[in-house]
Amino acid sequence: MNQVQCRIFSNTFNPQGLRLGNKVLRQRLKGPALASYYPRKMATFQDLQKAYPDWETFDEEQEDRIEKLKLLKARGKGAPKKKKTAEESKKFKGNKKRAAAVAAGLA
Amino acid sequence: MFRAKKLDLGCFVNIKVIRDHTKRKVFAEHETERQALRYIIRNMSLPQRTRVQAQVQLSQMHCYTRPTQIRNRCIEGGKGRGVLRDFKMTRYNFRVNALAGLIPGVKKASW
Repeated sequence: MNQVQCRIFSNTFNPQGLRLGNKVLRQRLKGPALASYYPRKMATFQDLQKAYPDWETFDEEQEDRIEKLKLLKARGKGAPKKKKTAEESKKFKGNKKRAAAVAAGLA
Repeated sequence: MFRAKKLDLGCFVNIKVIRDHTKRKVFAEHETERQALRYIIRNMSLPQRTRVQAQVQLSQMHCYTRPTQIRNRCIEGGKGRGVLRDFKMTRYNFRVNALAGLIPGVKKASW
């Protein structure tokens, strides 16, 4: 009787109450729900510009940034030039003051 | 090791958020494998040897594949504590946004 009931309702027939681990199989997968917690990246202004290169667009943030960099450079406060060789980049490693003193002493 | 080459997050980003996001994706990828191993371990009708092997295999999987490594973080500031689950925000960020009227259906009660 019990067996027939289990077959009809597609339950597992387990009269001895053995631990078969079916509870693990019954659980739903929660991976997709967890993986979609953080909002994904949406289209940026640069994507828009790339998609329509012949449109006249004005990216205010980008323009502001470039203007600021120009001002800094004019005051001599811009970023240092990129070092081309390993030797050049090694020159001022560590104490900057001492390196400058050594350079002055040599000169 | 698992981190994507290109960042695909649209919220506040710092290393902790990136790490948590990576863990979530890795867990989602390996979830079926973990559940299969868990089933073998729990199933007492299987031989003891296979169950122990499954136990070892499960315990030797990378820690990023574990669901317990995942922690809800604030999407506004990346903080890991005091995060309201319904709004994915810390209590302070929730307050600021709610008072500014940026969260639909939320308003300050007073009676």
